[in-house]
Amino acid sequence: MIKIDSLVKRYGEKVAIDDLSLHVKKGTIFGLLGVNGAGKTTLVSILNGLSGYDSGRVEVAGLDLRENIEQIRSKSAFIPQSLAFYEQLSVLENLNFFAGIQNIQSSKIEDQINRAVETSSLESLLYQSAKTLSGGQKRRLNIAIGLLNDPEILYFDEPTVGIDPASRNEILETILSFKKSNKTVVYTTHYMPEIEKICDEVAIIDRGRVVSQGSLEQMLECKDKETVFDLFDTPLQLLHGMPLVSVIDHKTLKLNTQDTDQIESTLRELHMRGVRIKQIRLDSSTLEKVFIDLTSKEAH
Amino acid sequence: MLKAMLIKEFLLVLRDRHALAALFVMPAIFILIMSLALKDVFGTDRALMTYVVTDNSSSALSAKLISNLQESSLLKQGDSLAQFRVDIPDGFASSFQTNGSLKKLEVVVEPDVKQEMLALFKVELSMALMGLRLDKLQSDIGDFSNALDSFDLDPESMVSVRFANLKESEHPTSTQQSVPSWIVFALFFVIIPISTIFINERKQNTLMRMEAMNISTPLLFMGKMIPYLIINQLQVWVMIAVGVFVVPLFGADALTMGDSLPALFVLSSALSFAAISLAMLIATVVQSVEQATTIGGIINILLGAIGGVMVPKFIMPEFMQTLSNISPMSWGLEGFLDIFLRQKGVEAILYESSALALFGVVMLSLAMLFYRYRRVA
Repeated sequence: MIKIDSLVKRYGEKVAIDDLSLHVKKGTIFGLLGVNGAGKTTLVSILNGLSGYDSGRVEVAGLDLRENIEQIRSKSAFIPQSLAFYEQLSVLENLNFFAGIQNIQSSKIEDQINRAVETSSLESLLYQSAKTLSGGQKRRLNIAIGLLNDPEILYFDEPTVGIDPASRNEILETILSFKKSNKTVVYTTHYMPEIEKICDEVAIIDRGRVVSQGSLEQMLECKDKETVFDLFDTPLQLLHGMPLVSVIDHKTLKLNTQDTDQIESTLRELHMRGVRIKQIRLDSSTLEKVFIDLTSKEAH
Repeated sequence: MLKAMLIKEFLLVLRDRHALAALFVMPAIFILIMSLALKDVFGTDRALMTYVVTDNSSSALSAKLISNLQESSLLKQGDSLAQFRVDIPDGFASSFQTNGSLKKLEVVVEPDVKQEMLALFKVELSMALMGLRLDKLQSDIGDFSNALDSFDLDPESMVSVRFANLKESEHPTSTQQSVPSWIVFALFFVIIPISTIFINERKQNTLMRMEAMNISTPLLFMGKMIPYLIINQLQVWVMIAVGVFVVPLFGADALTMGDSLPALFVLSSALSFAAISLAMLIATVVQSVEQATTIGGIINILLGAIGGVMVPKFIMPEFMQTLSNISPMSWGLEGFLDIFLRQKGVEAILYESSALALFGVVMLSLAMLFYRYRRVA
């Protein structure tokens, strides 16, 4: 659905996007992960035609971005992090306005509004002034506006910032529901549990480059699994020269595998040395660990 | 698309009570206050100067002089705060009768009295003295003086005054001076709601969202400008209605409109375009709502002060009158005065309207350039 090849975007001397290539499949929920300033927002701006680029090729829905920006925009929706609507207007007035300014056939406007309202669970709030809505309700209105043109691609820029866990879950469920209608979602966030919960594929961006891309499973598998031995206080000389393991401190040893033979062998060695073990943990990999590992590697 | 944008903009303004007060209530109150405050300045039956007389002569002649002064419509007897104090010296009457040197009247003038007022007072005093001389001349020549009986010193009987472009019985009123001024001022107050809404839209990324929905910059600007062109027209007619119907209820003269509605429409549209374009430029340049209200307010007041809205241009010193030509409010005001006061038509206001339209085009072009530059940056 989205193909990006060797994309470069500079702001004066600063390179914001550095030879970035990316491929987002149709119907997937695609997570864009990166620290602040990594280039996520610039990338989303480029994909929405809000910002130009210096070189590279971008194709959205089979169309070249530069040559077909209006057509591409009519197939996509950008849901910004800020609450981009009018607080002085009611929910329905906001929806009418944003539907009215898009190229939607007037006969379809009402249907589109109804669909967006239903998807975002705003039925009971239609005549309420937007400024009186709760934080979660405002976020839902922000999303509903993005659904008015029945887009094939939705770009979400950190849509759950500053809302309570219950509202966050509602929003994540709403986004998950887009999979049923085969919509493609590009989702940027700082919250890795959200990516783990809703995304099929992830790209980690660091300093304008994709440092890793793949399915969530692939990404978690590529990280080595570990076995951690938690010890009672042990003099460090007793641990000196231990084979296979890394000595973290006088209470912790780490084995860079979960292979049972190696675990057994380590247990025997510790027993021989008279080291008392408190517990053994099979440390599972998380996206956060993968992210920190990849971005810190790049930093070095 | 445009329809939705117009509805949105109207709803936003109509729900902003402060904006409505600034656009409609404030100028209406200004018109009322200033028409009443300046009522006497433009009135033709008002005494311009106050005086007191100290009569040290205590004679029939000095009494006649005092009587002559009292007949002047420009003078009014005052108290200790009077602008002029006239001392009739002892021996005034005898010096008058002897044909010798006349004992001079002494006039003490308050220091804040303007030169032109002093000159006018001296003329009035001379006229009163001349009346005494004519009386004496008449008594000296006795029966041969029939011709002098019909000698009338009243200026009204010698000079007929008519205001240019007005009917014979009409004269300029404070309302006709005030209404154009405050219409011009009110139209420029759109700077505040336009820039406030625009900045909020920019900060909330609503503009960005609209752009992502294929709204072009010209359409975006048009969607903002058309509602305010309509609002400005409404303001003009509300202000005129205040001048025609409300001001007379408080004792000031009613506004009499010129004969040219097309001229009024052309000029108010050009002025509105200039004001809205300036507002769009401010909205695209400033960073925050606070800056917009401060800068917008200052620009409005400066343009008004320079342009003759707050102080009529004819009482400004010459260099200020020249300076006032840089203010678009001055062009608008001159145009409105042509329509309301000088009863002129479209031809008379074409120059001012063209200047305002050109000003609007320059401001709007700068606003669009700045908006695009900011967006790219």
